[in-house]
Amino acid sequence: MPEEILTDQVRQQLHAAGSVDIVIGIPSYNNAPTVSRVVQAAHAGLLKHFPERRALIVNSDGGSKDGTREAVLSATMDTSVLLLVKHPLYPVHRLTTPYHGVPGKGSAFRTIFRIVELLQARACAVVDADLRSITPEWIDLLLRPLLDLEYDYVAPYYKRHKYDGTITNSIVYPLTRALYGWRVRQPIGGEFGMSGRLARHFLTRDVWHTDVARYGIDIWMTTTALAEDFKVCQSYLGAKIHDAKDPGSDLSAMLVQVVGSVLSLLETYADVWPRVQGSKPTPILGFPFEVGLEPVPINVGRMSATFRQAVRDLLPVYQQVMPAALLRELQACAALPEERFALPDELWVTLIYSFALAYHRRALDREHLVKSLTPLYLGWVASFACQTANEDAAQVEERIERLCLVYEQLKPTLISQWPLQASEKR
Amino acid sequence: MRLFWAQVILAPLRELGQQALASLSSLLGMLVLILLGLLLGWLAKEVVYRVLRALRFDRLCGRLGVGQEIERMGFVHSCSYLAAQVVQGIIILTALLAGLNALGTPLTRNLVERFFLYLPHFLAALVILLVGTLVSRFLGRSVLIAAVNAGMPAARLLAGLTRFFVMVLTVVAALDEFGISRTTIIVTFAILFGGVVTTAAIAFGLGGRDLARELLQSQFRPQAKPEADDQMRHL
Repeated sequence: MPEEILTDQVRQQLHAAGSVDIVIGIPSYNNAPTVSRVVQAAHAGLLKHFPERRALIVNSDGGSKDGTREAVLSATMDTSVLLLVKHPLYPVHRLTTPYHGVPGKGSAFRTIFRIVELLQARACAVVDADLRSITPEWIDLLLRPLLDLEYDYVAPYYKRHKYDGTITNSIVYPLTRALYGWRVRQPIGGEFGMSGRLARHFLTRDVWHTDVARYGIDIWMTTTALAEDFKVCQSYLGAKIHDAKDPGSDLSAMLVQVVGSVLSLLETYADVWPRVQGSKPTPILGFPFEVGLEPVPINVGRMSATFRQAVRDLLPVYQQVMPAALLRELQACAALPEERFALPDELWVTLIYSFALAYHRRALDREHLVKSLTPLYLGWVASFACQTANEDAAQVEERIERLCLVYEQLKPTLISQWPLQASEKR
Repeated sequence: MRLFWAQVILAPLRELGQQALASLSSLLGMLVLILLGLLLGWLAKEVVYRVLRALRFDRLCGRLGVGQEIERMGFVHSCSYLAAQVVQGIIILTALLAGLNALGTPLTRNLVERFFLYLPHFLAALVILLVGTLVSRFLGRSVLIAAVNAGMPAARLLAGLTRFFVMVLTVVAALDEFGISRTTIIVTFAILFGGVVTTAAIAFGLGGRDLARELLQSQFRPQAKPEADDQMRHL
């Protein structure tokens, strides 16, 4: 008997709404300033692009204290400003419900998937509640490939500032690409579209009490879709601009959830990724218009200082994770003067593969392991910032492409060391 | 003459022979028990080793950090093999004590009795030491990683202090379990600890308030995070 995550009240509301074609999910937690605009954009997108479809907007809330749920229900849409070619046939229903389970985005998604399942929806799109750059066109771009082109999963494709999304650029995108062979540029973008079939498939997995229930949900969904041969594409959404970051969010906790999920998925799909060679482009739908990007100021000095301290102070930890030669190379980098500070791509990729192997053989507590990666990652960001200080977006993208190729070239070393046999010493 | 021969010479000799025979049977019993213990010990070692290997005990020890700790102590064998050797040792020791008991002398009986009374305390102390070492390592590493990630210059000092205090508590608890001059240990610990704290307090409080403030600020206050860094979006 599967665990029921919806309350009776919500089930009654869903019963009253009847079956729908489309579900738009908006996970939220204290997003009152931005959520009403996101709801309005979703509403407008449905009226404008899918007037003949039955649709439901679901806000899955993590217990907001700032009136997020009230903002969702009271967000009004002035339809007179919309240029509607067709008059909508059905009203767009709206529902806000608290989710149950581990606090986090993944639990909110689970509730949305359950609603998709109950209402037998054909397509579902999820968008973050803190978006400032969402437009009604995003709804079309995330849903159209599912409804008209038979895709199962739509990942977002944004233009982002070169210092925005550095975990994606340094680890998640290149590693996912090298492992599963598909170039999905924003595998943890936050906005996704998925077919009802895939949403139901996600629900069958027993991952909702792990890091997947938190920040790990995005990479888990993308990896599952890629590794299990669902039809995947990307939609160009323009610029992604969020509300200001939650100051309480902790980088090392984020790394544990995201990178920990990536490394854990290596074990889940250990029979898939070693057979993949190289990578193929994933179709990008939508017109790639140019956008203005907000600058992202970063403090390179502090990051490189944290890296240097880690190489010195976390030596006993790193000795359990990586070979001595790699450690010596890290120490040599740490000894470089500030103006020449750089982490070569080969070193970085070897280091990430060492962490993957250490995670697999449980060289030390897994949370400790991934948390100890935080200062090294900051070192990569500092090095990347120094190298790209005067480069434009295209040059930065070329640099990331080179890093991806190094991940692909060095993948055989990961494969050769993966089947780690238990130590045979008596 | 015949009576004299029988009473003075033959009777003591017969008695001596009977005693020697009784001692010899006790000795033989002891030898048999020890040999049986050696055989059983070897068998148990092989069985336990194979069962633990099948249960991936080495992997579990690696996860808990016991494997690394054992390697660091200079043991060349795996945790499964060491555990099997411990079982073998216990069986041989038990057989040895049973053999001594078979001799039937008051001295050996007393020795065996005292050993078995002391054994639970000894094992409990060993478990306390093992768990304490693991906890101190785990907490020390947690503090070290968190402090480095927070940019604290005294990360290693904080981690070392964490390990030290957990180990002190562990050793005190283990010695207490061993029953080694309980009062002396507690008094020594209290005097030492109190002395260190008092000395530090006086030195910092009176000797150099400004210096202490600067030192504490430089060592324990995380480096100021500039506003710029707070705007980074890593995901």
